[in-house]
Amino acid sequence: MELEEERVGDAFVVTARGRLDGASSSIFADRISGLMTNQKPKILIDFTEVDFVTSAGLRAVLILLKKVKAADGSFALCGVQNSVREVLDISGFTAMINIHPARSDGIAALSP
Amino acid sequence: MAPLETEVLATSEAISALTEKVLAYLEEQQVDSRAAHHVALVVEEIVTNLGTHGNCRDKPAKIRLMVEPAQVTGEIIDTGPPFDLRLAPDPAIEAPLEERPIGGLGLYLIRKLTSTLEYSHQNGQNLTTFAIARS
Repeated sequence: MELEEERVGDAFVVTARGRLDGASSSIFADRISGLMTNQKPKILIDFTEVDFVTSAGLRAVLILLKKVKAADGSFALCGVQNSVREVLDISGFTAMINIHPARSDGIAALSP
Repeated sequence: MAPLETEVLATSEAISALTEKVLAYLEEQQVDSRAAHHVALVVEEIVTNLGTHGNCRDKPAKIRLMVEPAQVTGEIIDTGPPFDLRLAPDPAIEAPLEERPIGGLGLYLIRKLTSTLEYSHQNGQNLTTFAIARS
């Protein structure tokens, strides 16, 4: 998995590419956790090029969600592919995460 | 159509390579992307579980996939302790975030993404078979 972060105002927008699985989930969790240094961290992850999320990946997302919630921040995804979306739906994640159709929608929702 | 037959040790590198192989095979067999995704994910979750709870870090599991007109079927054979993944409890997927346990999702995804899921234990081997519908 490749990760590339960009600062947009007081938020971080992270472009993820590849598979979020057992081989990449801890790198993903560590890298995103590293961006949560502010009070109320704001994180948007662009999943447009993520084609595969396993239960190990879901665990990493859940850990990040709990951290963001504990810090009173926000965590959102955008551009989620249909098959990945189905996995998020089945696992009950859609109810816990804001999912925006496109990156521009996600960025618009970040502004205060 | 020729089946895909392979063996895999349950390490994260080997499982990633297996997923590549499964996706390439299903694409070559012109399986739609949704079914291909689900088959690759189910195989990955089953083998990952064998690495965590079985003995497949040392002894490889055997994988066989067959593309049929209406579905893709899979067989996984391992020599670990008997384990029927159909019987594992469902995780609390409706619990609020603060109370949601971390884990238990792999087996749940396997049960939800497959249209049939069978298990038997014979001659010291576990045989797990599944089918996923094509569209």
